[in-house]
Amino acid sequence: MRDSPILEVREVVKRFGGVTAVNRCSLSLAPGKIYGLIGPNGSGKTTLFNCITGVEVRDAGEIRFKGGRIDGLKPHQVARRGIGRTFQIIRVFPELTALENLLVVTRGPSEAARRRAQELLRFVTLDRLQHEYAGNLSYGQQKLLEFIRVLITDPELILLDEPAAGVNRTLLNELLAAISQLRDQGKTVLIVEHDMKVVMGLCETVFVLDYGEKIAEGPPGVIQTDERVIEAYFGR
Amino acid sequence: MTARAGVLAFLLVAVAGLAVVPLFASGYHVTFIIQVFMWMALAGSWNLISGFTGYVSFGHVAFFGVGAYTGALLITKAGWHWLPAGVAGAAPAAALALVIGYPCLRLKGPYFAIAMLGLNEVVRALVSYFEGFTGGGSGLSLPPILSIAPVYYAMGGTAAAVTLLTYRIITSQFGLRLLSIREDEVAAEVMGINTARLKLYAFLLSAAFPGIVGGFYAWYASHVEPLSVFPLLTTITMIIMCLFGGKGTVFGPVLGAGLLSVFQELVWARFLFVHQAIFGALIVGVVLLIPRGILGVLQQRYQLPRSI
Repeated sequence: MRDSPILEVREVVKRFGGVTAVNRCSLSLAPGKIYGLIGPNGSGKTTLFNCITGVEVRDAGEIRFKGGRIDGLKPHQVARRGIGRTFQIIRVFPELTALENLLVVTRGPSEAARRRAQELLRFVTLDRLQHEYAGNLSYGQQKLLEFIRVLITDPELILLDEPAAGVNRTLLNELLAAISQLRDQGKTVLIVEHDMKVVMGLCETVFVLDYGEKIAEGPPGVIQTDERVIEAYFGR
Repeated sequence: MTARAGVLAFLLVAVAGLAVVPLFASGYHVTFIIQVFMWMALAGSWNLISGFTGYVSFGHVAFFGVGAYTGALLITKAGWHWLPAGVAGAAPAAALALVIGYPCLRLKGPYFAIAMLGLNEVVRALVSYFEGFTGGGSGLSLPPILSIAPVYYAMGGTAAAVTLLTYRIITSQFGLRLLSIREDEVAAEVMGINTARLKLYAFLLSAAFPGIVGGFYAWYASHVEPLSVFPLLTTITMIIMCLFGGKGTVFGPVLGAGLLSVFQELVWARFLFVHQAIFGALIVGVVLLIPRGILGVLQQRYQLPRSI
């Protein structure tokens, strides 16, 4: 028997003027797995993330997290239910220090939060830069900071928007190991990624979007040979 | 001695020094320092909303004006003592901030700034219109004050309270969260921060103190009228002082208000006709050369703690 889904996106539609960015898209994520979301540029991946996290309000459809409706909630309410995300274009707080970037989002007692923040900074080898303004860190370091900023809120579902882009090979392997580790802790992860090696290595199920519609779903090996997917990426 | 103890000792000496000034200084000097205190409190208040969250308020003088009229009315019509009447200016100022902040803090960037500019004009027009109550364009006259020393302490206390509050905020998670709104509001929201509520809290605090300052000002000036308590220039001056000293810092507004007040006084005394042009040039220079302000630059260059 299948677990009841942690996230269910049902027939979600999002339009911007005459453009339908997400078109009757449905996905279902079971807890404790890593999913991939791929598709050509402009296929609606980030918009779908925005709808799930409340940054954009969907025009139609339903989004449920652990059984409860979350469409229509404000972003901070969605976050408090247990969904964390990163952004395609880095959004750390540049004039807060690396440590402050983490402390600003923690909930609960400050001593425990500080310990956890320092632990996470060590984990991504940023502990020596903890008092540096985040804006002064390198691109890859900011990416890692954004990643651990999600972790510190301890979400059950983590949405990662191109986590591997611009990260060097050594760091990338650590990042991938960290993502697998999250799955082993029972977290659910949904990754938007262009790097097919990352998708192949990590994801158990991949959803493919094209022009806002889900055109395929399945294990990565199968997806790669799907005609519609090949067509969407390379044209007829 | 640690740096922290040094700063504390310096502050104690400064406060003690300022506390004895009215005992021997001339009326001119006491009056001048009252003005400086007033600007410290106003610039510090503006800092609480605009320096921290980046929501630039161009109508902050409205809270000052509302406080001034509240103080004047309580003293003249209700027979209150000036001290509680001045403090009471905080209530209508905060109430106005609540009513206007709830819808307007949803506006981003320049739209919020313009809405606040409009607020000030609306309040000024209303005050002028209800002549029977407010004295209309000619305003309200208060009894002349016999001693300015009490006002000196009241204004100084308000400036100190704003600064202390700023320190408490900046060393708290609430303060970091306000800064995160300035840095990237969408990211803050997505990380679970209820930005709408925090902005409103900051706005209420930021409005309450100008209300108090206005209340004291009414007593001190012995007269309030729409033109004297709602001038756009007052808002602009608090903005400049805060930016000059360092927005989002504790002592930036204090430093900015102190330095610019002295500067203005010196220039005004020497170059009566061009002093505004000189002041204007200074503003352009600050914005172009040190947009972070003096303390902002020092903080970044020497990695000073945020709580300076």
